[in-house]
Amino acid sequence: MKLPSFHPLLEAEGLTQKREITIEIYSQPFDPWIQLSEWSSTAAASASFCGHVRAVDEHGSSLEALELTHYPGLCESLIRENAQRLLTVHGATAALVIHRVGRLSPHEVIVLVAVEADRRGPAQRCCMALLEAIKYEAPFWKKEWRNGQGSWVSGNTPLSSSS
Amino acid sequence: MTKSPERTLQVLLFASLRDQAGWDEQCVLLPDQDVVTAEDIWHQLNLGPRPASVQISINQRLVNALTPVQKGDEVAFLPPFTGG
Repeated sequence: MKLPSFHPLLEAEGLTQKREITIEIYSQPFDPWIQLSEWSSTAAASASFCGHVRAVDEHGSSLEALELTHYPGLCESLIRENAQRLLTVHGATAALVIHRVGRLSPHEVIVLVAVEADRRGPAQRCCMALLEAIKYEAPFWKKEWRNGQGSWVSGNTPLSSSS
Repeated sequence: MTKSPERTLQVLLFASLRDQAGWDEQCVLLPDQDVVTAEDIWHQLNLGPRPASVQISINQRLVNALTPVQKGDEVAFLPPFTGG
């Protein structure tokens, strides 16, 4: 199920002009490849990141499920603010963000970020920066479930982490 | 005293704060003082000192703890984000 989302730019442009930023919060599984296919334009360069739920928790124990909650409204507006800023900074033209909430099983897709630009550098750099902004600046929270017990994840792993 | 809707605001808690407090949304009476800040509202919740990592939003805008609140505001306390 797709939750209500906020698309002031797209609505103002009637969905017929150039697409800039699309943000969706889903409470049910989605196929990232179908979403990418539907979103992609004829831009010369695109970069994407697809994140899946790990099969182990942050301590290395087997994970039963991952529960994701968010703050509706503020979450979408902060992602949009960051996407607008980063598209400008990196000279990219369009961004897609799809993020899951609810209870997810290991290996389910949790986030899809894609960016289009005229060159590979802006597309790749902007995609990476936007993902980091989502991880640290958008109000999502993860709870890990194992053996019927849930515990809130204390923080994100740093980008440089190899674990 | 019955809480008058004119003198209240809505407080939201998320994630670990929600578990700690045992509630997610509550109508809170504004203290009787000229200026009431978001930090004043936190202290009114009796959740102990506010961890520095807990951010605050008023009416869906991130603010600092000394931002004044008004009647009818939506004040949310947000533990560190862990999305993506």
